[in-house]
Amino acid sequence: MNKTLLKVTTRSGWLVWTIFLAIMLMYKVIIISMFDPDDIESIMAMLEVMPSELVAGMGFAEIGATLTSFIAGYFYNFLAIMFPLIFCIIMGNRLVAAHVDSGSMAYLLATPNSRIKIIVTQAFFFLSSIVLLFVVISLAGILISESFFPGLLEIKPYLMLNLATTLIIFTVSGICFFFSSLFNTTGYSLALGGGIPVLFFVFNMVANMGDEFAWLGYFTVFSLFNPLDIISGDFSILSSLVLPLIITLLLYGGSIIVFDRRSLPL
Amino acid sequence: MSIIQVQDLTLTYKSGKGIFDVSFTVQEGECFGYLGPNGAGKTTTIRQLMGFTNADHGNCRIAGRDTRKNAAEIQNTIGYLPEEMSFFPGMTGSKFLKFMQDMRKTGGNSRLQELVELFELNTDIKIRRMSKGMRQKVGLITAFMHDPDIYILDEPTSGLDPLMQRKFINLVLEEKKRGKTILLSSHRFDELELTADRAGIIRSGRLVTVEDINSLKASRQKTFRVTVKTENDLTRLQNSKLQISSVRDKQVEVVVSGNINQFIKLLAECDISGLDIISQDLEEVFMKYYGKEADFDEQNIT
Repeated sequence: MNKTLLKVTTRSGWLVWTIFLAIMLMYKVIIISMFDPDDIESIMAMLEVMPSELVAGMGFAEIGATLTSFIAGYFYNFLAIMFPLIFCIIMGNRLVAAHVDSGSMAYLLATPNSRIKIIVTQAFFFLSSIVLLFVVISLAGILISESFFPGLLEIKPYLMLNLATTLIIFTVSGICFFFSSLFNTTGYSLALGGGIPVLFFVFNMVANMGDEFAWLGYFTVFSLFNPLDIISGDFSILSSLVLPLIITLLLYGGSIIVFDRRSLPL
Repeated sequence: MSIIQVQDLTLTYKSGKGIFDVSFTVQEGECFGYLGPNGAGKTTTIRQLMGFTNADHGNCRIAGRDTRKNAAEIQNTIGYLPEEMSFFPGMTGSKFLKFMQDMRKTGGNSRLQELVELFELNTDIKIRRMSKGMRQKVGLITAFMHDPDIYILDEPTSGLDPLMQRKFINLVLEEKKRGKTILLSSHRFDELELTADRAGIIRSGRLVTVEDINSLKASRQKTFRVTVKTENDLTRLQNSKLQISSVRDKQVEVVVSGNINQFIKLLAECDISGLDIISQDLEEVFMKYYGKEADFDEQNIT
């Protein structure tokens, strides 16, 4: 790890991070304020107007009547994946491939810092930015819930849900980071590092729509992530927490090895 | 003692281009010119010296250490100027220089200030808004500011105006006096002749020769464009033993290699209205040095 580089990377990344945080906070406030404990049926009625496949695709089908499951269904099933996913695509590409593509990596490597040190610094920034994003999001969620509906949020399952979301986004960031480390140009880095997570996301939506396409669930990491199961306590720690973490570690480990060994066009 | 060692270095790109079995050494305190036309493989060699690329075979050593495997350890002894200036565009010049100092963990602003003043650079401007020449200055200051023992400079004078080029040459000569080892690449011979002790000539990825700079100089020919006032003088020039490459109106182009005195004596007898030296590109140096193109290629293969 190199503190000087970390500072510079942070300075160039904080704006994007803040924008994504702001969008997500906005949605979180809207969704929590939409919850009406006395009239959950009216929302259900609203959903019935929309095509049932679409509602199922976005994971809104089995939304329970509690505030916690309401947030899990409306926010964590869709928005809490989609926005961080875009953040990961943008940031992952910037952290390595953009430096190689533009040539500024030559300056970083012309200092007495090994490639491993440089890339570990970038990876550290990436993972911490995601952790920080969800720390703020989950704390804000508690504050907002308490101010609108004191005492209704089940804190423990809610925090577990945030942990699981963080880990599945870790996995997404690992995919982006890996292709960013592997390719010389931002074009390829974005095509695969962005394309694969987006494909996973789409597969997951389609798989949720109905039994006909349920098999697509085998081809996406998001099958490991089921917010409503986590809220209800009916989930396996292995597949929801441990597996995403292992995939993440493998992807980041692979990124470091690939970047250290390959020829750079600088 | 040889500081920079390139041994049997081969690195092929997918296009089939690259460098092939390049070997040379640069001694301590020596200034080595790496000369070749664009695309000959100068930058490819230098990238390997910086540890950016994986060679097909062969290796490079700097101060005895492998430049790929031990890249990080040797960087602070090297002042590197890349061919293309691509910094962190959002930073100002001074922020970038400070950033590089911190990355190297080398403090001390006196050398940095000296260089900023020498090159008359305004460091408050964002690099994104800098002209090519200004960026080149930032690159040069980055290469020189930590007072390294070895300089690896890729096309160092590109984008600099003549005044700055002179300042740069003086800086290189000063560093040479201080015992520094310098490798600088160029596609122009005249850029090297003031600074280099020896030059390696590379073409199409193959190192053609490594020569003392003075013998390269001697083998170099110059073309003068002479404008005469009268037809009489024109015939006089044409009838002389001088090698005439072209005649247009009253302009004669004369190729001079060894017979400079004869040329000047003859000129003194004529009524001259103009005299220009036509700068000679590297291809011509090659032509003179190797005779015909075909010979040159054969020499490469064998």
